Amino acid sequence: MNDLYGEDLRERYYDWNLLKRVLFYLQPYRGLVLLSVTLLFGVSLLNLAGPYLTKIAIDDYIKVSNFAGLDRIAVLYVSALAGAFACQFLQTLVMQYVGQKAMFDLRTQVFSHLHRMSFGFFDRNPIGKLVTRAVNDVEVLNEMLTSGIVMVFNDLFTLAGIAAILIYLDWRLFLAVCATFPPLLLATAIFRTRARDAMRKYRAHVSAINSSLAENLSGMSAVQTFAREEENYRQFLDIHQKKLGEDLRALRYNSIYLPSIDVFSAMGIALVIWYGGGRFVQEEIQLGVLVAFLQYLQKFFDPVRDLAEKFNLMQSAMTSSERIFELLDTPEQLPNPENPRPISRARGKVEFKNVWFAYKGDDYVLKDVSFSVEAGESLAIVGATGSGKTTIVNLLCRFYDIQKGEIFLDGIPIASMNKYDLRRQIALVQQDVFLFSGNIMDNIRLGNVALGQQEVESIAQTAHSHQFINQLPCRYEQEVREKGSLLSLGQKQLLSFARALAFDPRVLALDEATSSVDTETERLVQDALAKLVRDRTSIIIAHRLSTLKNVDKVLVLRHGQVQEFGTRRQLLENKGIFYRLYNLQMSEDLGDIPEEKRIPLSDPLP
Amino acid sequence: MPAFRSTLSNKIKLFLPHALAYRREIAIGVAALLLTDLAGLAIPWFFKLAVDLLPQKPAPGVLLQYGGLLLSAAAVQGVCRFGWRQYLFGPARKIEFDILNRLMSHFLVLDKAYYQVQKVGDLMSRATNDLRAIRDFVGMGLLILVDSQVVILACLCLMVYLNPRLTLYCMVPLPAISLLFYRLSGSVGRKQQIVQAHLSKITSMVQENLAGIRVLHAFVQEENEKRKFAGLNGEYIQKNLELARLYGVFTPSLIFAIGIAGLMSLWIGGKSVIAGDMTLGSFVAFNGYLAMLSWPMMGIGYVFNLTQRGLSSMARLEEILLARPSVETAPDRETSPFRVEGGIAFRGLNFRYPDARDYCLRDVHFEIKKGSSAAIIGMIGAGKSSLVQLLPRIFESERGTVLIDGVPVQDIPLRELRRSIGYVDQEPFLFSASIRDNIVFGQLGAGEDEVRSVVGLAGLEPDLDRFPDGLDTMVGERGVSLSGGQKQRLALARALIKKPRILILDDAFSSLDAETEETVLDNIREYARGTTTIFIAHRLSAVRGVDRIFVLERGTVVEQGTHSELIRRDGYYRKIYKSQALARQMEIFMQ
Repeated sequence: MNDLYGEDLRERYYDWNLLKRVLFYLQPYRGLVLLSVTLLFGVSLLNLAGPYLTKIAIDDYIKVSNFAGLDRIAVLYVSALAGAFACQFLQTLVMQYVGQKAMFDLRTQVFSHLHRMSFGFFDRNPIGKLVTRAVNDVEVLNEMLTSGIVMVFNDLFTLAGIAAILIYLDWRLFLAVCATFPPLLLATAIFRTRARDAMRKYRAHVSAINSSLAENLSGMSAVQTFAREEENYRQFLDIHQKKLGEDLRALRYNSIYLPSIDVFSAMGIALVIWYGGGRFVQEEIQLGVLVAFLQYLQKFFDPVRDLAEKFNLMQSAMTSSERIFELLDTPEQLPNPENPRPISRARGKVEFKNVWFAYKGDDYVLKDVSFSVEAGESLAIVGATGSGKTTIVNLLCRFYDIQKGEIFLDGIPIASMNKYDLRRQIALVQQDVFLFSGNIMDNIRLGNVALGQQEVESIAQTAHSHQFINQLPCRYEQEVREKGSLLSLGQKQLLSFARALAFDPRVLALDEATSSVDTETERLVQDALAKLVRDRTSIIIAHRLSTLKNVDKVLVLRHGQVQEFGTRRQLLENKGIFYRLYNLQMSEDLGDIPEEKRIPLSDPLP
Repeated sequence: MPAFRSTLSNKIKLFLPHALAYRREIAIGVAALLLTDLAGLAIPWFFKLAVDLLPQKPAPGVLLQYGGLLLSAAAVQGVCRFGWRQYLFGPARKIEFDILNRLMSHFLVLDKAYYQVQKVGDLMSRATNDLRAIRDFVGMGLLILVDSQVVILACLCLMVYLNPRLTLYCMVPLPAISLLFYRLSGSVGRKQQIVQAHLSKITSMVQENLAGIRVLHAFVQEENEKRKFAGLNGEYIQKNLELARLYGVFTPSLIFAIGIAGLMSLWIGGKSVIAGDMTLGSFVAFNGYLAMLSWPMMGIGYVFNLTQRGLSSMARLEEILLARPSVETAPDRETSPFRVEGGIAFRGLNFRYPDARDYCLRDVHFEIKKGSSAAIIGMIGAGKSSLVQLLPRIFESERGTVLIDGVPVQDIPLRELRRSIGYVDQEPFLFSASIRDNIVFGQLGAGEDEVRSVVGLAGLEPDLDRFPDGLDTMVGERGVSLSGGQKQRLALARALIKKPRILILDDAFSSLDAETEETVLDNIREYARGTTTIFIAHRLSAVRGVDRIFVLERGTVVEQGTHSELIRRDGYYRKIYKSQALARQMEIFMQ
C-alpha cells in the first residue's frame, strides 16, 4: 500500500457497502431524489424527441407535401424543447439542493464528531489531515452525489431510450448496428483498465508533487541554511518527471480511445447506410426511419463517453468517503456516563485519590497520586519538567481518563458527571494564550454572548486589560489577527485572565507563564492573579518562587509521584524540599555561588 | 520594490519561450486538427449523396461504396484526432512541466524575506491552480481557437451553398449561443470565486477550531462552535445554490438555443424540400452541418474566458518569477575559495526587516572569538534570533556590519558560508522522510558511522531503541510522530553532522527535560571544542558556563560579561536568574 507515497491505490468502484452508506445521506430527501430522477427521465425522453419528430416530418409530411402537418410538427418540436428546458432546469435545482443539504448534514456531523474526540486523538492526528476530511473530502463527495450518481441515470436513460426507439423503428437495422458493440465494449474495457491505472498513478504523483512543493516552501529556511537547493530540486524533478510520464500516458490512452469511439460510431452509420439503404431500396423501410437512425446513432455514443468519465469521479469519491467514515467510526473516547450526577454550581473541593495515569501503554506519568484542596483554597504544584504537573490539570478537566484511582469534585467522582457540567466549573489558563480570530470582546467572553459590553469591560478592568484594550484603534471591536502580533506577551496573559474571569469558575487551574515580561506588566499580572484566585479554589502550576508565598497548600511532584503535600505550615515544619525552596525565596542573596554548593542537596530523596 | 505593471509584452517575454520550445509538435497538432475538420465536413456531404441517390434505387454495391467512403472519412478523422490530442495537449502538459520546474528553481532562490510575507497556501495555489489555467489556455485555448474558426467558416460556406435562405434563418439563434456562453460562463466564474472564498472561510474555521481545541473544550464551547459552524455552512449552501441556479439555466439554455436552430432547419427546410427548392439529401446534410456548428459556437464564448483566466494566471505567476531575493551573491565572488574559521564580529550593526518601520537591532557591536562560546539572552522580541540569523544570511545585513573572520558575510561564497554554519532553531522543520534521511539532510553522503556518532551526541540513541524501525522510522509530515524534544534533538544531529565551524543553538532545547538537556549540553561542549558556539536560551542554567554572555534589550546589548560578572550587577540577568530560581531548584532537587 505504501508503494506510491502512501497513496491508497485500491479500487473501490464496487464497494457497495460504502456506496450504501453514502446514499444513506440522501435518505431524508428521498422524495426530492425521486423527483429529480423522474425529471431526468423526462429530460432524456424529450431530448430524444427531436430526431423522431424529424422522422415523422420527413415520412408523413415532407414526402407527401403536407404544409399544415409540418407546422404541427414544428409546434411539437418547440414544446419538446421548452419541456426539456424546464425539466432540466428544475432537475438541476432540485439535485443541487439535495446535494447541498446532504453535504451540510455530513459536514456538520464530521465537525461535531471532531469535537467529541479527546486530546489523545488530536495528539496523534495532524491538523492538516483532519481539515482535509471536514472540507475537501466532503466536497468531493458532494460532487459525486450531485453530478455523479444521478447523472449516471441520465446516461442510462438516454442509452435505453435510444435503443428502445431504434428497436421500435426497425429491429433488424438495430441488430445490424449492434455488430459494432462488441469491439466498442472491448475497446472500452482495454482502455478503462489502462487509463485507470495511469490516472491513479498520476494522481498519486500529483499529490506527491504538491506535498514536495508545500514542504519545500514551508521548510525553505532549512533547505537554504543547509545549502540543499540542488539536491532538493533534483528530488522534486524526479517525482515531477514521473508525473509527466503518467500524465502523457493517460493522454495517449485518451487520444486513442476517444477517437476510436468516433470510428465505431462511423462504422454503425456505414452499416445503416449500406444495410438500411438496401432495405429502403427494397421498400421495407421509409426514408425517415433511415434519417432518424443516423441522428440517433450520433447521440448514442455521447453517454458511452460520459460514463467512462463518471468512473473517474466515482473512484476519488469512494476514497474520500472511506476516509470520512473512518473518522466518523472513531468512537467517542470520553463518553458521558449514562445517568450523570447533576451539578449546577460546585463548591469547589477537589480530591485526587490514588490516581494512576499513562498517556500510552503502561508508561505511567502519574503514579498513585493523592491530594485534596478544600473549597476556596489555593494549591501550588511544583516539580521538574515532565514530572506530571500539567497532566494533573488535564485529568481534573477530564481531558483524559485515568487508569486507576478516582478524582472527586465536591466528593462526587468526576467520571460520574456530565463532562461538560464538570468543565463548566473549571477555568483553565494555559501558558501560551490561544487567541481566536474575531474581536477582543469575543475573545474574552468566548461563546457567552449573554455578557454585555459593560460587563465585559468591568471584567477587563479587574484583569487589568481595560487600559491597553482602550488604546487599540477599535477598542473592544479590534480584530485579533492570526498569530496575534497585535498584543504583547504580557497583554495576552492579562487577556487570558479576563477570559477566565468571564467564565466565573469555581475552580481555577492555571499554568503560570515561564517567559519573562517587563517589570510593569509583571506587576499587573501578579495583581490580576491575586484577584482571580480570590473566593475560588485554585490550582497553580508554579514557576515563580513568589507564588509559593501566597498559596495555602503545596504539592511537590517528582517523576509522577507525590514527594510532599500539605499546608505551607506543615511542609515548613517537615523541612523538606518546600522548606528549602521557601528559604530560597526569603533570602535575597542569590549570589554567584554554584548551586551545587549553595544547596546541600543531592540527598535524601528515595 | 517599485510597483510593477504587468503588460502583455512582459508576459510574452516570460512565457512565449516555453511554447516555442514545442513549436514543431504544435505545428503538427494544428495540421492534424485541420485534417480532422476536413474529414468531419465530408461526412454530412456523403449523407447527402447517399440520401439523394436512394430514391433512384441504387444497387447494393453502390451503397456499400458510400458506406466505405464514410468509413474512410471516419478513419482519417480518427487518426487525425489522435494526432491533435497528442500534439496539442501533449505540449500543453510539457509546457506546464517546464513552467513548474522554473517556478521550483525560482522558489529555491527566493529568501526568507520573501516567504515571511507570502503565505504558503497562496504560493501553492499559484503553482497548481494558476498553472492549470495556463495549461488549459495553451491546450484547449489553441484547439478551440483554430477549430472553431475553421469549422464555423467551412460549415457556413457549405450551408450557404446548400440553401442560403435557410442558413440565414438558422443563424438567428447561433450568435446568441456565443453571447450566452460568454456572459454566463463569466458570471459562473465570478460566483465560483465567491463559493471558493467561502470554502476557505470554512477551512480556516475548522483549522482554528482544531488548533485551539484545548481552549474550546476547557471552556465548554462545543455547542457554540457547532452553531457558528452550522451558520457558516448554511451560508455556504446558499452561495452554492445561487451558483446552481446559474448552472441550471446555463446548459438547458444552450441546448434550447441549439434546438431552436434545429427547429428552423426542420420547419423552414422541410417546407423548402416540399416546395422543391432543396433535395432531401441536402436537407439531411444541412442538419448535419448545423449540428457540427453548436460546439464551436460554445467554444468561442469559452475561449474568451479561457484567455481571461490564462492571462490573469500568467500575471500571478509572473509576480513570483519577477520577485528577487534580497540576499544575492555576486557571481564572481562565488567562485573564489574561502574557508570559514569561525571568528564573528558585529560592527555598529543596525537592522530592520524588509518593509518594517522600526529597527529591531540597534548599534550592536561585539565580537565572539574563534572557537569560543557565547550566549545571547533577553526577552522575547529583544532581537536575539534576528541577530544570529544575519550570520548565515537568512536575512541581509548592511555590508560590513556582520563579519566572519574579518570578512563581510556578503563576500563569503554563500554555499561555503551556509555549509560552515550549523543553525538549530526552536521549532525545526523536519521533512516527511526517515530519521536517517533527516539527519543526512545536513551532509549528503554521510556514512553510517557519522550518523551513529551524531545520534549519540544528540542523545537520540535511547529514543531510537524504542522505535521499531530505528533510524528508518518515518517521522511523518513535519515530524508529527516525534515528540517536541525528539524533533529538537534530531535537528541538532542534522546540524552536527555537517561539522560546522559555527554552531548556533537558538533556543534549541526548549522542549528537553533538564536531565536530557544536561547530557546533550555536555556532549556538545565536548564535541564543539574549537567550534564557535552561540547559545540562545531562556533557561539560564544552560548558559552559565559559556565564555561570554550578552544581554539584548530592544535590539541593543545592555549587559555583557561572564556569569559571575553579570550576577554581581543588579541588572536584567540577575533579575531573570532570580525569577528562574524555582524552576532551577526543582530541576536540581528532582534529578
